[in-house]
Amino acid sequence: MRKLLVLLILLHGHLYALERESTLKIYHNIFHALSSKVKVSVYTSDKEYKEVFRHSKEITLSDNPEKTDIILITHESALNEILYTMSEEIHSTNQPIIFVTNYHFLKISDRIVGAFYWRKGRSQLLFIKNRLEQHEITLPEEYQKFMIDEL
Amino acid sequence: MRKQYFDKFIIFLMILLILFAIFLQVATVKSTEKLKNEEIEKAEQYASKISKLIQLRTNNDLEFILTYDPKLREQLNESLQAFLTKQYQYIFVLQKDEKGNYRFLLDGSEEEPEEFKAIFFPKSSLFDTVYKTQKMQIIEQQEGVEQIWLSLVYPIVTDDTTEALLVLDLSESYAEYLNEFNSPLMLVVWMMQSFLILSLFALIYLAYRYYKMRKDLIIDELTSVYKKQYLQEFADKNKMSNYNAMLLDIDEFKVINQKFGYESGDMILKEFTQTLSSILPLKTIIARTGGAEFLIVSSKSNGTVEEQAQTVFDVLKEKKYMVENEIQSLTVSMSAMSIPKGTSSIQDIERMLDEKLLEVKNKGKNGLGILNVTEISSVYYRNVDYIKEALEEERLVCLYQPIYETQTKQVIKYEALVRLIDKEDPKKLIAPYHFMKLVRGTSQYIKMSKLVFKEVFTTLQKYKDVEISVNVDLDDLDNADMMKLITHTLYENRELANRLTFEILEEHEVKDYDKIMFYIQQLKAFGSKVALDDFGSGYASYKYLIKLNIDILKIDGSIIKELESSPDHAKTVIRSIRELAESFQYELVAEFVSNEDIYNIIKDLGIEYAQGYYLGEPKPIELYMDDKH
Repeated sequence: MRKLLVLLILLHGHLYALERESTLKIYHNIFHALSSKVKVSVYTSDKEYKEVFRHSKEITLSDNPEKTDIILITHESALNEILYTMSEEIHSTNQPIIFVTNYHFLKISDRIVGAFYWRKGRSQLLFIKNRLEQHEITLPEEYQKFMIDEL
Repeated sequence: MRKQYFDKFIIFLMILLILFAIFLQVATVKSTEKLKNEEIEKAEQYASKISKLIQLRTNNDLEFILTYDPKLREQLNESLQAFLTKQYQYIFVLQKDEKGNYRFLLDGSEEEPEEFKAIFFPKSSLFDTVYKTQKMQIIEQQEGVEQIWLSLVYPIVTDDTTEALLVLDLSESYAEYLNEFNSPLMLVVWMMQSFLILSLFALIYLAYRYYKMRKDLIIDELTSVYKKQYLQEFADKNKMSNYNAMLLDIDEFKVINQKFGYESGDMILKEFTQTLSSILPLKTIIARTGGAEFLIVSSKSNGTVEEQAQTVFDVLKEKKYMVENEIQSLTVSMSAMSIPKGTSSIQDIERMLDEKLLEVKNKGKNGLGILNVTEISSVYYRNVDYIKEALEEERLVCLYQPIYETQTKQVIKYEALVRLIDKEDPKKLIAPYHFMKLVRGTSQYIKMSKLVFKEVFTTLQKYKDVEISVNVDLDDLDNADMMKLITHTLYENRELANRLTFEILEEHEVKDYDKIMFYIQQLKAFGSKVALDDFGSGYASYKYLIKLNIDILKIDGSIIKELESSPDHAKTVIRSIRELAESFQYELVAEFVSNEDIYNIIKDLGIEYAQGYYLGEPKPIELYMDDKH
């Protein structure tokens, strides 16, 4: 019985690791498409995502949203906080790139360049062309199909 | 059920079960597929109806109406919502904008419905295909899609233009629900498969155990050659007449064990068998039948028995063994034979070889003896079981040799001589010297005698003018069962008894003449005559003439034979016997009259009766009777 329990725990751990691995892979690709750096620094206030990124060798977690390459926002409150604290100068290429996990956030601020979210059981990735241009970001060829001009 | 058939039956049953399990699995999968296909058909019908409804409500101007009539949009969304049953995860309508991006026109989701014109990436190029071809498509679940089993993409077409796509996402949980329909059956299939796999493992394990156990049973641990037990199995599976057999025993092996210890003895035995294996052709069976005794069965295609046996004997004789820094030679006693046709018993083969081996050992060991055909048949018939079987099957016959009156050359009597009929070849008759010694004193002997008497009295009954003599041993008269049989038979056939003569043979010296005399008197009381056989040889001495009241003397064949090599001396002896017989008023019979010369001498010497191959060989009585008549 104890052996079975240990096996179940190990199996659960293994499945969790698989899920974590796939999430990490997705964001690793997105962040590397957005940033040309080998090691991308990411700021997020989301504990779950922090836990996921902690295992990456190519993503470094940043504590300071102002001194990071990418800000990942998963909650509206976090978005509001970031937008409030960040410089008003939205067209600066030195500003961190904001990426979100919700389609609606894209409408809240023009500073958000893209989103990865789920809709009707399907994963959705999109980037807004003119916002990327403001950051002077050119996405690789394979990401062109996810680019839209307007929401 | 025999073991071999039982094994086949088990394998057949397993195959049948495997086939049944496969059939069940295929049938169950097909049944589930059928259920799913029915659901897809239903979804297709729904899609058609929903599409018509939307077109009707929008007057075939979908985008325009929906853009400018939010109330209708709301109503249509509610209509789509009405179709959302447990089968469907999502129902929505998409339209492609001028830039090729899909955007929501309608969404039937109750919770968090998509905004009008919100962008959507469908994850499948088949959406474009439907747009282009205007033909419905079923899209299987792909990477990056969750909770959806299948997507039915239905084109909403107005005037040959695809206006939008109606998407019905069938839920994954419903697919699981459909799968559950056949889950009890699948459980049975799974259980059957598990049972079969377990049985298969059990069978493999049992087979492994069986072969391991069998190896232990048939392979000699020390020498790695076969054990005696394997030989009969081999004999049962092979035609033994295609093989030669050799039995060899290491001479004085006990001395080796005593001198160097059992460990060294074992080492020698190992080396000995290795030598045997190296000189004998492959597939030769070597079996250890005793401490230092081995039986070899080798195919006749590898050479004659003489060649094979001599090679083995010579190599083993030359072989040297190193024991405790001493070079040792071993000698072997060996017997060999070409296994005759019809031999399938390894016991018979071993017995024949054993007798020959004993003969070799008695001659001083270190020798090779090869059984010839006569020896083989002699040993072969010298088998209690064989005789027992022959008697049980009444494979026994009496041949009759005529006894002639020399002066008239007329047959006056016939001597009944017993023969066994060969099991394999009924024309082949087995002479008593093969088996008589073996059965004498056993219940088989009584049984045989009973059969002989039965036949003799049948003959006497059949041919009224025929007299017959039968052989009995002196020991027979001393045997209560045998005497009971004789006297009982004579009593039963007392009218025929006076035409019967008992020829008494003796194997050893008579000690109690009074008792024998009493027995003879009993026979004579029924009117039968008593003859003393083989007079002049062995124990058939003159004392018998004094002590026993007999009627006929039969001169021993060896004396008659001497008429050819030492005629004068033989004639003198025969003359003296004739005078003796005349004095006692005994009838006199000369045996072994093998040619005309002997017959004439016998006649001239005044011997009344004669028998032998010149006068007539042992034959069935019918043949003589036919000639006579």
